[in-house]
Amino acid sequence: MENFQIYREDRWPHMFCPGCGIGTVMSCFQRAFLNKGLDLDRTAFVSGIGCSSRLAGYVYADSLHTTHGRALAFATGLKLAQKDLEVVVFTGDGDLGSIGGNHFIQACRRNMDLFVVCVNNNNYGMTGGQVSSTTWHDYLTTTTPKGNPEYPFDLSRVAATSGANYVARYTTAHPKQLVRVIEEGLGKKGLRFIEAWAACPTYYGRYNKMASPVEHTRWLKENSIHIEQMKVDGKTAEDDIDLQVTGKVTIGVLRDADRMSYLEAIQR
Amino acid sequence: MKIINKDYCKGCQICVEVCPKKVYSEGTEISDMGYLVPLVTNYDKCIDHNQIKKGKKPICELCILSCPDQAIIDDSYGD
Amino acid sequence: MPEEEVFLQGNEAVVEGALRAGCRFYAGYPICPSTGILETMVMRLPEVGGTVIQMEDEISSIAAVIGAAWGGAKAMTATSGPGFSLMQENLGYAVITETPCVIVDAQRSGPSTGQPTLPSHGDIMQARWGTHGSHSIIALAPSNVQECYDLTIEAFNLSEKYRTPVVLLSDGELAHMRERIVLKDLPIVNREEFPKGPVTFPLGEELGGVSPFPTFGRGHRTHVTGLTHTIVGYPSESIEVQTKLLTRLIGKISDNRKDICKYEVHNPKAEHLIVAYGIPARSAMELVTERADIGLFQPLTIWPFPSKAFRRAAEGKKSVLVVEMNEGHIFREVERHACRAGVEEIELCSKLGGGIPAPEEMLDCISAMEGE
Repeated sequence: MENFQIYREDRWPHMFCPGCGIGTVMSCFQRAFLNKGLDLDRTAFVSGIGCSSRLAGYVYADSLHTTHGRALAFATGLKLAQKDLEVVVFTGDGDLGSIGGNHFIQACRRNMDLFVVCVNNNNYGMTGGQVSSTTWHDYLTTTTPKGNPEYPFDLSRVAATSGANYVARYTTAHPKQLVRVIEEGLGKKGLRFIEAWAACPTYYGRYNKMASPVEHTRWLKENSIHIEQMKVDGKTAEDDIDLQVTGKVTIGVLRDADRMSYLEAIQR
Repeated sequence: MKIINKDYCKGCQICVEVCPKKVYSEGTEISDMGYLVPLVTNYDKCIDHNQIKKGKKPICELCILSCPDQAIIDDSYGD
Repeated sequence: MPEEEVFLQGNEAVVEGALRAGCRFYAGYPICPSTGILETMVMRLPEVGGTVIQMEDEISSIAAVIGAAWGGAKAMTATSGPGFSLMQENLGYAVITETPCVIVDAQRSGPSTGQPTLPSHGDIMQARWGTHGSHSIIALAPSNVQECYDLTIEAFNLSEKYRTPVVLLSDGELAHMRERIVLKDLPIVNREEFPKGPVTFPLGEELGGVSPFPTFGRGHRTHVTGLTHTIVGYPSESIEVQTKLLTRLIGKISDNRKDICKYEVHNPKAEHLIVAYGIPARSAMELVTERADIGLFQPLTIWPFPSKAFRRAAEGKKSVLVVEMNEGHIFREVERHACRAGVEEIELCSKLGGGIPAPEEMLDCISAMEGE
C-alpha cells in the first residue's frame, strides 16, 4: 500500500510535531477512504482553524480551509449546493467544541449529511497549549498553570444527544478500530461523527508528565475504556459523561441510528 | 522489507512502541531533519511479512497506520 | 425573459433581482428589517430549484453561502446591523478566497441593537472596513425599490466578474417600502469555470487579476484557504507572497473603478451640489426637480467611491452638501475629492435617530452655507 494515495506528497513532510496524533488520524482516514472505494473527485474536505484543520490542505482533493469554528457551517452550504458530493469535515476540539460549539450542536440536530472527524488532543496546540473545552479537570495547560478548574465536554455524547446518526470514538492508540469506524461511518447518511483522541506530546503531553509521543500514546490507551466493558462493569452512559467518574474516556460506537437525514427530509 | 523514509520520519518512536513483535528498535543515527530514525531490526518477526510470504493479506499494519508521518512503507506488498 | 410590472416591497425586489441574476442558494437568520428577504426566499427559491436554509446565526449564514458558492451556486445572504457585524470575519474570508457572493445589509439604527425597524446608514464604513486587514470591497446603495432590484442583479454580476463578495446596502425604509417597479431583463454575468481537470497552472495574476473559478466536485482538486496563499493555493508565510496577493486583490477592484462604479448626476450645471445615496437621494430628487440651481450626485456604487466622476461633477460648484443618515461616513471621502476639485464650501447634513432627511432640511443647510 502506498502512503500517499489521497494526500499531496509534494507537501511532505507535513507541519505536525513529532508524534502528533493528527498524522495517525490521517493514515487511518486514508485507509478507510480507500477501503470504501470513494472518489476523490467527488469528495470535498472542509476544515476550520487549528492544527487538525490543516489536514484539509494535505488531501489531494477539493478542500476548503475556513475560519475558526465555522467549518460545519461552510460544509452545510457546500453540501446543499451540491447534494451528491461527499463532504468531509476535519476539525479539532477547540474548533468544534469551543468556538464552534453551537454550529456543532445545530449540525447534529439537523442530522446534516456530513462526515465529521474531530481530532481531540485536549488542548489548543496551534497557539501553544492553552486549555480547551475538552482538557481534563486538574490537568495543566499554559492558561491553567494550577490545573484546570473546569470540567471537560464529552464531544461524542454531545453529538449523540444532539441527534447525529452515527457517533464513534477511539484514540490514536487504536488505529485499526479508527479505520473500522471511519469506514462504517462513510457508508451512512446524516451526520456522522468520529472523535479521535490524539496525542499532543509537544504541549498537553509536556505539561502533564507524558512529554514523549510514546508516553502520550500509552496514556491514551490506559485512559480509555470500551463501551462494552462499561456495560460489563455496570456503568451507564450517564457515568461516562463525567470523565472523572471512571477516570477514563469511553471508546467504541456510541450511537448508530437511522434517523431521517436533512437531505432526505428536504427531498421528500 | 519495511522501509522508513528518513525525509519524513520525525523520530517519535511510536512504531517501536506499537509493534507487537518488536520489529523496530530505537535508531542510532540522526537524520538530515535532525531526528533519531528507528531501525528495522527484526523484520523476520513481522506479522504481515509472514502473512505475505504465505500469500495472505496483511492483517496487522499497526506501524504503518500509527506512523504520524506516513514514513513507513513495506515494499513487499503487491499493490 | 419577459419584463413584468409589479408592486413590491424593497425586500421582495431584492429577492426578485437575486432570482433573475441566477441565485440558487440562500442562507439567513431572522433579523429586522431584513427578515422579509429570508421569508420571501423560502417561498420563491425552491420554485426555481434553489435551496434555502435558516441557519443558527449570521456567522453560519455567510459561511454556508461561501460554502455553497464553492459548490457552484450563486449564493446570497441578507441581514441587518448586528448580524452584519457578526458576518465581518467571514466577509474577509470571502475576500481573500475570492468567493463570489452577495451580502445584503438592510441597515438599521445602531450601535448594538439600536432601532430594529428604523432606517440608518450607519454601516457604510463597516461595509468598507469592517473586516480586518488590507482589502478592497464593492458596496452598492439603492435609493428606491426599482434600484433594489437593479442593484441586486448588478451585485451578483460584479461578484461573478471580479470573484469577490459584494455588499448591497439597503435600509429599514427601503426594505418595507412598496412601489411599482419593472422586473427588467438585465444582462446577467455567469461564473467562468476553470478549465477541466486539476488546477495545474497558477491561479490569478497570470490570468490578469481574476482567475476562472474551480468549482468543487469537478476534479480540480483545488485547495482554498483563508491563509495567505501562493498562486497554487498553498499556505505561505512569505512577505513577497502576501504583498503580491494583497496587491492583486486590492487592485482587481480599485483598478477597475471605471467599470464598477455606477452613479447618477442630475442638474449638472447647477451651482450647488448635493451628494446623497440611499433614501436621502430620493428626498434630494424632489429638490432637484424643483430647483435648477441645485444638482445631485448620487453614487450607486459606494465602494469603491466613484471619485473621478465625483470630481468632474464637483468642479466649479459653489458648494457641496453631503446628506447622510449617519455621522458622516462618506463625507470625508467627498470632502477630500471636493477640495481637490477646488470647491470651498463643503458641509454635512447629518440625520441621526432613524429619520429620513427632508428636502427642507437640505435646503436649510444650503441656505446656511450661503449665509456664512
